[in-house]
Amino acid sequence: MAQMKWSHVIALPVLATVSAPVSATEYLSVADAQRVLIPQAQNFVPFTVTLSPAQLAQIKKMSGVPQHNAQPKIWRAMNGKATIGWIIVDEVIGKHEFITYATAISPDGHVLGVEIMSYRESKGGQVRDPKWRNVFRGKSVQDQFKLNKDVPNISGATLSCRNITDGVKRLLVLHALALGRQS
Amino acid sequence: MTNRFLLSLLSAAALAVPGVALADENLFGYNTGAETLPKGSGEIYVFNTLRSDKGQGTYRAVDTEIEGEYGVTDRITLSAAASFLSIDSNGLLIDGYLPKPIDKGPRFSGLEMKAKFNVLSPALDDFGLAIITSAEVKRLDPHSGQKKTEYEARVTLAGQKYLMQGQLIWVGNLGLKAGHETRKAIANLPEGFDWPTDPEMEIELSAGTGLSYRVAPNWFVGAETQYASEYETEVGQERWSWFAGPTIHYGGEKFWATLTWFPQIKGGGETYPGQTGHLHLVEKTKNEYRLKIGMNF
Repeated sequence: MAQMKWSHVIALPVLATVSAPVSATEYLSVADAQRVLIPQAQNFVPFTVTLSPAQLAQIKKMSGVPQHNAQPKIWRAMNGKATIGWIIVDEVIGKHEFITYATAISPDGHVLGVEIMSYRESKGGQVRDPKWRNVFRGKSVQDQFKLNKDVPNISGATLSCRNITDGVKRLLVLHALALGRQS
Repeated sequence: MTNRFLLSLLSAAALAVPGVALADENLFGYNTGAETLPKGSGEIYVFNTLRSDKGQGTYRAVDTEIEGEYGVTDRITLSAAASFLSIDSNGLLIDGYLPKPIDKGPRFSGLEMKAKFNVLSPALDDFGLAIITSAEVKRLDPHSGQKKTEYEARVTLAGQKYLMQGQLIWVGNLGLKAGHETRKAIANLPEGFDWPTDPEMEIELSAGTGLSYRVAPNWFVGAETQYASEYETEVGQERWSWFAGPTIHYGGEKFWATLTWFPQIKGGGETYPGQTGHLHLVEKTKNEYRLKIGMNF
């Protein structure tokens, strides 16, 4: 007992982690997500916007959650010279890692689709199931986004479901405040 | 006492890990959250707790617990655990508590069955609440390493709150434990040494809380604390202790680990002759270190 080498005990989880390759869970690239979400678009043009402090405060007030990135990743989906939608790539907190997802929003502010680009959690991979993601289609900033009522919950992935649900609502508010007039 | 058993257990847990980074909600060493496993999923844990330093002599004890959990429904998790005790104590005798030097282990020390009922989900209902009940039978006294038979029942209320979209997590626990124990007689004790073998009843109330912050993907750093007060039918409050310390948690897809240092900050009640300072050292120690390793399946 006196000779117990506790450094070995402490090192074990670290060694296990270091020796474990990170799982490949990047399901879609940005280009893939764009094509899947708005297939009729001829091209996707990066759109730069810097949200003002007032806009950030308004997003939090309207969606209930903060928009951390003042320069969100946005692309304008073009068909000729016409804007036929917007793609916003965002991250929310999962149980232990960030979940990267893309949301397509129509010029008039309705969800066209949601794609999970990366998901690394041990449970709740069903958030990638089209049946679950399709619940968001057609929703606008006026709609309710209550988890387990308006959006079904997935057991074992409740935090992921809640944060994705809140995230989509937040992006709809962002669209209404910063992109609606650009369409 | 050899450390080979302990190391082999930990090595087995680590080697059994598939080559991926992993995850779970055991963010703390001593306090527990309110979530249950999804129906049909399970986890295997190995907990090791090193208890050391009673202020005089040498005292080190390692509690090893191997536990399996299974989600019966989305709101009910059942678990079973086997525990083992390794102990090395010399240079200190405490009348009624530490009767003789000992260096033994690991030895099988008990079995525990537990049920966790989720009442409110922290992610769904904004505030999480669970009721945890357990029953345990022990064959060794965890403090002295001597033989005894103890039946213990425990109920814990566990609250949990996600803050900052889950970046910061709070948990709070309230616990009530009742134990009925009968010590086995020990031969050749010094004359007048008290080692009661009549059945005894003890009740412990505990309250704990912890905060954990996600400092990077997969990594959580936090702090937790626990107050415990022990009562006996004849003397009322016998002892109390307050532990607090830092904790670090790593969680990936299949495997997670939590390390906690839990020093005793303050304590009171019964002391042993010659004891200095204001700590509860009759049954507790100055320091505890807990390492948990778990695997999801």
